[in-house]
Parts: sequence; C-alpha cells; structure tokens
Amino acid sequence: MASPIIDASGIVKDYGTARALHGVSLQIGTGEFVALVGPSGCGKTTLLKILAGFEEPTGGHLQIQGRDMRGVPAASRPTRMVFQKLALFPHKTVAENIGFPLKLQKVGKTEANGRIRAMLDLMHLKPDYLERYPAQLSGGEQQRVALARALVSQPGVLLLDEPMSALDAKLKKSLQAELKKLHRELGTSFVLVTHDLEEAMMLADRICVMRSGHVVQVGTPADIYYRPANMFVAGFIGETNFLPVTASAAGDGMAVVSPLVAVGKTTIASEHVSPSLSAKGTALLVRPETIRFVKGDAAPGEWVLDGHVEEYFIKGASTQYRVRVHGLDNAVILDLPGSIVLPAAVGEAVRIGFDPTQAFLLSE
Amino acid sequence: MRIERKSWNDPVFVATVAPLALVMVAFFLVPLLMTAVLTFQTTQYYRLVWTWDLKIWTEVFSKPHYWTIMMRTVAMALICVVLTVLIAFPAAYALATRLKTFKTQIQILIIFAFLTDAVLKTFGWILILDKNGVANWLLMHLGFPPEMLNLLFTPTGTMIGMVYNLVAYPMFTIYLSLVRIDRDLMLAAYDAGASRIRTFFEVTLPLSRPGLYSGAVLVFVLSLGAFLEPKVLGGGTSPLASELIRQSFETRVNWPLGAALTMVLITIGALMLAACAAFVLRRPSTGRRPA
Amino acid sequence: MSQRMRNALVDTTLVGSVVLLLVFFYAPITTLVAFSFTSSRVLTLPIEGFSLQWYGELFNKPDFLPAVLNSAAVSTISTLFATVLGTAGAVAWVRYRFRLQGVFRGLTFAPLLFPQLLLGVVMLLWFSVLGSWLGFSTGLVTVIIGHVVYITPFALVVVAVQVYGFDETLEDAARDAGASGWEVFREITFPLLWPGIFSAAIFSFLLSWGNFYVSYSLAGTARTLPIFVYSGIAVGSSPIYPALATVNLVPALLLVIVAEVLRRRALKRQASSIATS
Repeated sequence: MASPIIDASGIVKDYGTARALHGVSLQIGTGEFVALVGPSGCGKTTLLKILAGFEEPTGGHLQIQGRDMRGVPAASRPTRMVFQKLALFPHKTVAENIGFPLKLQKVGKTEANGRIRAMLDLMHLKPDYLERYPAQLSGGEQQRVALARALVSQPGVLLLDEPMSALDAKLKKSLQAELKKLHRELGTSFVLVTHDLEEAMMLADRICVMRSGHVVQVGTPADIYYRPANMFVAGFIGETNFLPVTASAAGDGMAVVSPLVAVGKTTIASEHVSPSLSAKGTALLVRPETIRFVKGDAAPGEWVLDGHVEEYFIKGASTQYRVRVHGLDNAVILDLPGSIVLPAAVGEAVRIGFDPTQAFLLSE
Repeated sequence: MRIERKSWNDPVFVATVAPLALVMVAFFLVPLLMTAVLTFQTTQYYRLVWTWDLKIWTEVFSKPHYWTIMMRTVAMALICVVLTVLIAFPAAYALATRLKTFKTQIQILIIFAFLTDAVLKTFGWILILDKNGVANWLLMHLGFPPEMLNLLFTPTGTMIGMVYNLVAYPMFTIYLSLVRIDRDLMLAAYDAGASRIRTFFEVTLPLSRPGLYSGAVLVFVLSLGAFLEPKVLGGGTSPLASELIRQSFETRVNWPLGAALTMVLITIGALMLAACAAFVLRRPSTGRRPA
Repeated sequence: MSQRMRNALVDTTLVGSVVLLLVFFYAPITTLVAFSFTSSRVLTLPIEGFSLQWYGELFNKPDFLPAVLNSAAVSTISTLFATVLGTAGAVAWVRYRFRLQGVFRGLTFAPLLFPQLLLGVVMLLWFSVLGSWLGFSTGLVTVIIGHVVYITPFALVVVAVQVYGFDETLEDAARDAGASGWEVFREITFPLLWPGIFSAAIFSFLLSWGNFYVSYSLAGTARTLPIFVYSGIAVGSSPIYPALATVNLVPALLLVIVAEVLRRRALKRQASSIATS
C-alpha cells in the first residue's frame, strides 16, 4: 500500500484490568472500503471509536493522513462517524442536521445551502424533507440523513458503526447497494463495523476479522471465503463442515488422511492449504455445496462417508440436508440444488461423498 | 445511559455539585443538627440559656399530654395513608392503562390542582363543608334533610383536607411504577390463563409495590406535619403535633421544647421511612422493561 | 355475570375513579371561582347575584399588593436558584458517579421527604440562633432560602427525568461533527434538556408562589400572598379570597399548560427518533 490514510500499529486498549484490544495493527488505503468483522465483544467497535477519537488507546500508534492522532479530539480529526443509532439531533431539522458540521466550520450560508442540497441529491432525498424533523422520517430516510451529515464536510474517512443493524432485511439490501455505489462515486475511505460477514463481503474491498481483541485475518472477501486463516474465520461465514484429519508435508502440498474414510492418503495442493496452518486441530473445510449423495459407485479419489439423514430443510433454490455420520460430533451439512423430488427421507441410510482435493486444509 | 466518573479534583465538576451541596448542608443539615442540640438547652424568662441539660427530654417523656397528641397524629397519618392509597391506586391504574385519549389533559389537570395555593384550596373546603355550605346545600336539593353533614371543625374535616392535599403524591409514585411494568408480563399472565382480576393480583399489584410503598410513606411522613388542615378545617378541636410545636414556639416561647417535639416527630417519620425502605429493598422488583 | 359484562364493569369503575378524583380535586377550586362572582357578602348558596365588586375590594385592600409583590420577588428569586441548582443536581444524580454520591443524593432529596412545617421550624431555629449571633431577623431573605431548600429537590426530580431520557451519543455525534465542548452544550445538551428545565422552573415558581408552611415559619413580619390569605381567613371569611383564588388561577393554568406541552413535544421527538433508528 503506497500511502495508507490510516496507519494503526500495535493498538492496545485496557478498560480497568480488562484488555479489549491486544496490539491491533491495520493499514487502510486511501479510497479503500474496509470492514471490521467479528462477534460482539471482539473489539471492533472499540477500534472504530479509537479511530474516531472517542477513546484514547492505552498503547500503540495511530496515524491518520500521516498525522499522529495522540491527543487529537474527535472534532479535529479527518474522520466522520455514522452512529449505530444514527444520533440525529431530534430538535434540529434535516437541513440543520446535515448543515451542522458546516455551521461549526463557519461556512457561509449560501455555500452551506448549496452543499446541503448537493448531499440531498446524492442521498436521493426530496428537497421538501429539508424542513422536517428526524422523527418525521422513515428509518431508511433517517439513515440517509445520517450519511449526509457525516459526508457533508468531505471527511477523509467515513466510519460506519453497524448503521444498518436495525433495518429490516429488504431496506438493508437496498441501502447496502447504495452504500457501495456511494463509495465508488466519492472515493472516500470507508471503515464499516459489522457483525454480519455476508454484509462485509458484499461491500468491502478488504475485511479484517477480529476475535477477542486480536486480528485473526485481513484479506479480500475472496481470501476470507476461499482461504480462511482458521476454523474460526471459516465458521464465521456460515454453516460449514470440518472433517478432522492428520496432515504431513508431501512435496509442495500436504498429505492428509482421515480415520473415518476408507480410501487412503490424498495430497492437497498448497493453494488449498491455509498459510497459517498449525499442527493443532487440523481439519478439512468441506463446503456444504461440494458434497453429494453417492448412489452406486464413488468417483475416483472421492472420499465417502456413511450416515443417515437427520433432517432436511427446503430453502427454495437449494435443499439442505443434515446427515449424522458415526464418529463426527456435528451433523454433516449438504446444500443440494433445489428439486421437487427429495433425494432422501429422514432416517434413511445414505452415503455422502466429496472430492478432498477441492477442500481446504486449515487448523484451529 | 452513559455514566461518567467524576473526581473531586475536577474543578468543573465541583462547580456543578458544590453550590447545591453547600446550600443543603448550610440550610438543611446544619439546622437539623442545631435542632438536636437545642433540645438539650433550657429557657429562663423566655430567653434561651446555653447549657447541656436533659430537662426538656424528661419533660417530654413525663407528660402524657404530648404523647396523646403524638399518638393522635400518627393515627391520623395512618388513616390518611390508607385513604389516599385507596383513592390514588385505581385512578393511577386507570391513567396508566386506560384513558389513552385524555391522558395528557387529565395529567395537566391533576398537576395544576396540586400546584394551586394550599391555603386557598383549604379555604375552598370551608365553603363546601360549612353547615350552610355547598355540600349540605347540594344534599338538601337531592332530597336529604337540611344541614345533614356537620363536618367543619371536626377530625373528619381535618382528614378530608389532609387527604385532599396529599393524594397527589401516591398518584404520582404509583402511576410511575405502573407505567414501568412491561405490558408483556400482563399479556403473559392472560396467556397462561389468568383472568384479568387474577392477573392484577398476581402480576400488576406486586410489581407496583415500589410505587405503592413510596407513595404511602411519603403521605405518612408529610401528614405528620399537617398544620393547616387541623387548624382551618379541624378548628383546633383536636390539635395535632404541629399545633403543639407551634404553640411551644409562639405561645410559650420555649424553643428547646419545640425542638424536642420536632425531633420526636422527625424520628417517627424516619423510622417509618427506614422500615419501608428495608421492606422494599428486601423484595427484588424485576418487572422493569430491560434497558 | 358474563366475562364481558365484568370487564365493562371494571373499565367503568376505573374510569369513574379518575372522574371522581378530578371532581374531588376541583370541588374547592370551582367553589372558590363561583363564589368570587357573588354579590353577597355571605358565602352560602344559592349565589344571589353576579358582581365583580369583590375583585375591586381585593385590590383596594392595603396589604394585598405588598403581599403580591413580596410573593413575586420570593418566587422569582427562589425559582432561579432552585432551577439552576436542581439542573446541576439532576446531571450529577443521573450522569455522574463520584465519591460520596450517596451522601449527595440523600442530602439533596431529603427535603422532599420532610413535612414542610418541620422544615420551616428547623430552619427557623437555625436562623434565630444565627440571627442572635449575627444580628439579623427573619424576613424575605430567609423565606427565599427556605423556598430554595424546599423546592430544589422537586426541580431536580423534574429535570432528572429529562436527563435520564437523554441520548449521549448525540453529544458524541456533535463532537464528531467538529463541535467544541461549549458548542456541544449550546447546540445539543441545553436545547434537549431545555423542556425539562423549563417545566422545572414553572413547577418551582408555582410551588413557591403557593407555599404557606415554609413562608409562614420564616417570614417574620413580612407577608407573602398565602400568609395574607391565612391571616385573613383566620379572622373570618370574605368573598375577596375566592376572588383572589380566581385571579391566581388563570396565569398559573397557562404556565402549566405551556410547560407540559413543551416537555411532551420534546419527549416525543426523542422517543420517536430512538424508536425508528
């Protein structure tokens, strides 16, 4: 990255004796869209608040646009925040809300009005909304006003703290699309905090997955999905299967065996092996959509497991099966293409198979 | 709700808190301590003599007259508590659960009546309760014998005035505890098959206890100091503690005695308050909506 | 009895209790207003004729206007102090945590739990002792001090409700938008707390205006309006007191309505902006 707009290194944050961030480092490029993802309590919101200037880090360095941010209050930082609960001022009209940062910068009336109008256009809000109060707007409209207020002073970085968590699914989808378009048009750096990895994958250029105050993996959505650093990241994306294996080095890949599968050793190519593989708890990540029911003979090289159907769910485009396999703690999940004819009934003994060379080797 | 920790080294914080704290210390706490100190002084020829003497306390404890009046005061206060709560609860309940349309207007009317000059309102009651007053006139025109009620200058007249002047307090506290109860709890009770009356006794009433108790104790404590009502509506026929205290100041110019009687009354109120607080705190109230 | 009839009965009883309570509250007040327009000197029903003469008589009474002026001065000054101190106290109660907070809370709330007469007496004793040492006697100043002690806890409670409903992320948002500490207070904190502060001021003013016990204990020879009424009715009833009650009523009612409407509008704005976001 040539010139990161945000350069955080070794950020530590303690609350009393509890450590919320254990030396987090992250660079964000100019114009980049980065998502901070993780379960609640992972420290993503704390990190965002440190970027915004609402929290002082206990240790580490933070530079924004090349300036050290130590002791710089939120008001003087080139960052603007969209709050989780939006924090629109209930006693100010839409125009006053959007124009608030300009008023504080003592921008002239005419120019301010022009910029408020421009924001309104950008956010597809009707001009007659200007005189309304936030309580008179719908949830989606309030969202746009909050975005407009954060963007009106042309910040270098826009910080978004789960701004869509309270919206219903349909509104969320349309705002997500709009946010992505907005980012492309403005070229401003966006940092989005979310607990929804799917949302992060849809929107962000890069994703930073966090867990209990540590960064677990930073990468593009494709990296995160196809090359997860460990089982935590892989499991965070959605329901998936882990098959415990033992692995040993073999050529430029890894040789794996599973005690559950009769067929012997298979070699996994290095691009299907996690770069941070450790010896502890090695497993094959087998995506539900890559498993099939085996009727008749198995394909060459295919790994086959015996089990019985525990439950199935018709999801429309796909049908999900849960198959109980002897020796595995969790049921194996299969996502089959949706079909009016069900391939198996509950309780039925089945054989399931997958191609191990297409699976991904990782560890805990 | 975000909470900010403040240190007494922070000058802005001290400037916020100190003036109020100083006013209350200088004009509430110190006077209270002073009153306690005064009970150990004596008077000679209507003048205060600074000593350290138990004379007043022996007088207070040896004269049954004082204790008759104290007992009467406590009895009146207890009756007043029962009556105000009985009147306030249904009204507060109705206001919290029914009457959506006129709620604001009714609240304004109640607050307004509460804030109107008490002396004038009490005078209004004279006009109603008088032998030739509004109440008897109305009753006569409804076919009752003339001058049926004779309430002015009786303890009943005093009680009407006390209930009138204090009933707003339990109204407020009960209303506040009722609106804080999560409506889903009541729905859950209906859903479990409880009737409305059963739900009221099993869910609503127990959860409104904090408001009930705090309203009751407020009425009790405040009615210990009732002065206007026994004087104006009771006509001084059966004086209460407040009358005794005023007399010891005005007629007898015996400050230590007045101070001692004041302390007795404050102690009764404080004991009641403590008992009630202990009772409320012992039972957890978990009917609040989660924040 | 069927379930439906029983429910209807419960509903009627509940609504009836509110109506009866309002009748109870307003019986003496409407009686006063009605009698203020009588043409007779005797305050008994039926009212024989309509007249405004008692209003004239009230204003011609020599100690009436001084009492009004005293009351106005006392109420204005105590309201000012009670509102400012109550607002600071409410913020300290709700938003701050500090050492000795329990003591602070007890001290600032206790006057509310005190019978007014005893509050007056206790302060009278202190002022008398202090006065004998420093050479002053009780008067309007001591009444004002007494009112501030009595009323501030009420003001504190009213403002505290507003502080409690306050969403501090709004202050963060203002800071994030570039506001300094003072700008945050001027643009966000104060405007949002204002309805509560305003209600507290009106509440305080009316409590002070109508206060008898504290004034009576601490006024010395000075007279406020309630003392004027008390000493009048102790001697004998006269239609000038109903007239006075009526004169008192109109501006007070307007103040209460204005305060309540303002407070509710602000609460509604806050509530709905939280609910929909």
